[in-house]
Amino acid sequence: MPYPFSSLKLFASAIVLVICIVSMASGQSLSSRIDTELAKPIADFDKKAAPLCTDLEFIRRATLDLTGTIPTVEQARAFVKNTNANKRAELIDTLLASPAHSWYFAMVLDVTWMERRADKHVPSANWKEFLRNALLANKPYDVLVREILSADGTDPKTRAAAKFYLDREGEPHLITRDISRLFLGVNWQCAQCHDHPKIEEYKQELYYGLFSFFNRSYLFTDAKAKQTVLAEKGDGESTFQSVFDPAKVTKSSTPKLLTRVAINEPKMEKGKEYDVAPTKEIRGVPKFSRRAQIANELARADFSPFARNGANRLWAHLMGRGIVHPLDLEHADNPASHPALLDLLAKEFVQMKFNHRELLGQIAKSKAYQRSSQLPPNLKDPKPEEYLVGAIKALSEEQFAYAVLQASGFTDAERLVLGAKLDEAGLQAKLIPQITPIINALATPAGQAPGYEARVEQALYLSNNTQLQSLISPRKGSLAFRLAEIKEASLFAEELYLGVLTRMPTEDEKKEVVGLFNKKEADKPAIIRDLIWALLTSVEFRFQV
Amino acid sequence: MNCKYACNTVEHGVSRRAFLGGAAGMGLGMLANPLLAKGLNSQQKRVLVVFLSGGVSQLETWDPKPGVVTGGPFRAIPTSVPGIHISELLPYTASWMHKLALVRGINTKENDHGKGSYIMHTGRRQEPANEYPHLGSVCSKLLNEDKNPLPGYLNITPNGSGGQSTKDAAYLGPKFGSVSISDGKAPLNLEKPTGINTEAEMQRHLLRQSANERFYSRRKSAMTEAYTQTYDQARLLMEKRGLFDITSESSKISDRYGKHDFGRHCLLSRRLLEGGATFVKVSHTNYDTHHENFDFHIEQLGEFDRTFATLLEDLDTRGMLDSTLVVVMSEFGRTPTINRNFGRDHWGTAWSVAMGGCGIQKGAVVGKTNATGTAVVDREVNGGHLFHTYLKALGFDSKKNFYVDQRPLPMADPKASPIEEILL
Repeated sequence: MPYPFSSLKLFASAIVLVICIVSMASGQSLSSRIDTELAKPIADFDKKAAPLCTDLEFIRRATLDLTGTIPTVEQARAFVKNTNANKRAELIDTLLASPAHSWYFAMVLDVTWMERRADKHVPSANWKEFLRNALLANKPYDVLVREILSADGTDPKTRAAAKFYLDREGEPHLITRDISRLFLGVNWQCAQCHDHPKIEEYKQELYYGLFSFFNRSYLFTDAKAKQTVLAEKGDGESTFQSVFDPAKVTKSSTPKLLTRVAINEPKMEKGKEYDVAPTKEIRGVPKFSRRAQIANELARADFSPFARNGANRLWAHLMGRGIVHPLDLEHADNPASHPALLDLLAKEFVQMKFNHRELLGQIAKSKAYQRSSQLPPNLKDPKPEEYLVGAIKALSEEQFAYAVLQASGFTDAERLVLGAKLDEAGLQAKLIPQITPIINALATPAGQAPGYEARVEQALYLSNNTQLQSLISPRKGSLAFRLAEIKEASLFAEELYLGVLTRMPTEDEKKEVVGLFNKKEADKPAIIRDLIWALLTSVEFRFQV
Repeated sequence: MNCKYACNTVEHGVSRRAFLGGAAGMGLGMLANPLLAKGLNSQQKRVLVVFLSGGVSQLETWDPKPGVVTGGPFRAIPTSVPGIHISELLPYTASWMHKLALVRGINTKENDHGKGSYIMHTGRRQEPANEYPHLGSVCSKLLNEDKNPLPGYLNITPNGSGGQSTKDAAYLGPKFGSVSISDGKAPLNLEKPTGINTEAEMQRHLLRQSANERFYSRRKSAMTEAYTQTYDQARLLMEKRGLFDITSESSKISDRYGKHDFGRHCLLSRRLLEGGATFVKVSHTNYDTHHENFDFHIEQLGEFDRTFATLLEDLDTRGMLDSTLVVVMSEFGRTPTINRNFGRDHWGTAWSVAMGGCGIQKGAVVGKTNATGTAVVDREVNGGHLFHTYLKALGFDSKKNFYVDQRPLPMADPKASPIEEILL
């Protein structure tokens, strides 16, 4: 039997092995290097910082951040009982590998990239399916972004990816602004009309360098196929004036992305610009496409703003704020709070070939992610960018809506109904019609960056709309149903608090619940309803702690 | 959107001024006195926009041209201000001219309903990749006090689904968006759920509050407090839902306003303004008279005229008119040329807006069109000038910026300026 390795191969593998050992010895995992970097600016960081959160806080936090919902009572109890020293890291890996992560993160990416715009040319369901399949396959972030920025909507296989362009109506200014914000981490909106008056680096010429990739593109509707796609002209310059310039000097730009060299545009002989010349009925295809250059210019390993922004966004997703914050406002006067850390994350993101799950996992395994949000007694007013204490983060609309379904036991009840046929797609088909109205009631307006803002209409919805009342009402498997079965007051309090807030009740809380529990039996359904509602609308449920 | 910094904006200065003005020389404790609170209220500035949807004809309203080829069949009548004539279709309003001002030289260069409406709501032309806040959102941000349970921008619409349009606020943030009052019906979710009686309602809120107190004993932030406050505000707003019920008004009063939709909606507007609303927009539809312009204007303005005059009278007798900016606007005017269907078409080139009340000169006219109304010949203004004028009339320096994430965002179009001739 021939030996499977040649000696050369054996030698090579030995070298690889040595390198691995060396790097493990010199180094630590990325998660511990994150903690090292965060500790650097502050003397006695470890002494000052809040301790790690409890197991229950951890499972709630990680389940919300990685799968968009809260854990079931059984999951919470099992996690506490688990004696494995490595159980937190294992939980992170399990959650990241679960289909629920891909379902949820497709929504996160959708909200980030489409900002709740109403559907125009590509149905949201197709786009989310495209994102979900990419995430299920753990497609590298750069590949995913290249697919989105390359799609023009003509190929049925990649049409969904073209939503980014098509549902922005192919509008070159809108696309320019949003690419700058969403992939470069800089908001160049002001620079459409003039250099930014306060931010030196946001120059009008940079804006038009990016704009020039899109200035020849337009929407084309194929009357026969009844389909709108992107088309492009073979000529057309991108010219601009500053509204602040009294001399009104007109400048022009060719495609050039930030620090990259300008695109070398082939000179086209007049009249020979097209493979397919455009008419009213025919979609133009130029010999040289400006737009086709952007994907490869932007989503590449050696263009650092792309990796920095991608890493910063994943960091912010878990940590509640960016290392550069706001996420689209990096400039000299608003630098990274921890520049070396952001460099490290960006570099590692490239090294791991833009493996989004891997980076999320490394950040989630850091101590920083696991800090308690409760202030240590000696710590006064820590700044959020010091990461001395866990952030109090508002749940996103999706997280809140899914958490309401899980806490009320709607999700549990649907799991029971599905029984042996339970899978993520089947469950989601039941949940999505319920989360949609909650998200709509809470959401920020279409076309604006997502984020939390308190509005009275949200409180009115959660207080008075019939939807929440019906979610709370008892049905087999739901929280109200389970509570009604419990005869012992302290177990009742535990089920309520574990179910809604993923923690045990305090003595005071037990006392409050027991007081109500001992009232007349006939009042019990109303008491259960009001107790669940009160915790669902409490601050502790709306925010992550 | 996170982080809405409003540094360096006028509203700090204004609320401070309002505070000093109202409470000068008195102890802080007196602020709790409801009578004094009422006194402060009368200094509150507010806005009423009457939107004549579809495009009202300037020739049949504020800028009549009787006896010329474009003038149509109606006469011009004298008003309570010597020298100012308006269309005979507005006899009641004519008797209130001494409280109003006219801008007759508007050229918005826009004949599309949606785009014209955008200009009149925001004072800007639509631009790709930029959204501007509505006047109502700007006023909500600048004028509405945090403790006011009523939404800062109330939009009474003839129909529609109700609900909130957060997009109207653009970069100011969704809480300054409009809340629709569809056909005069109260906003959504103002009634407590069926099956929850008063006692249960109290109990569930007490439970919620005690959970929050336990949480706050450990940690709090501005965001968490803003969240709990929305529940307090919601309960105050629920208590105010009677304001939306016009059936409590006597039939004598509702007759004065008219039983038609616009009459009911204007009566509701008065109740809301009186009840502390900051910005109310009420619409009258539909003036898009491509056919039979003259018949339609007789009907439409017949409703508008008497109702609007009644509303002015009620605001005036309540002492509210001088602190309420009233604007009658449209998305554009109508063509001087009369088409073969006896209609007039869309026309943004030379048309008029009427305004009055807070900060506006009484009985002033600015701008002039030519004899046939086909062009502005004096003091041409656009939507930007109007927007500046509204803000300045309310006491704001409209040349200042809002700041959002360090971006300076001019409150009104920097290329335009207020129409000083009609400002006090």
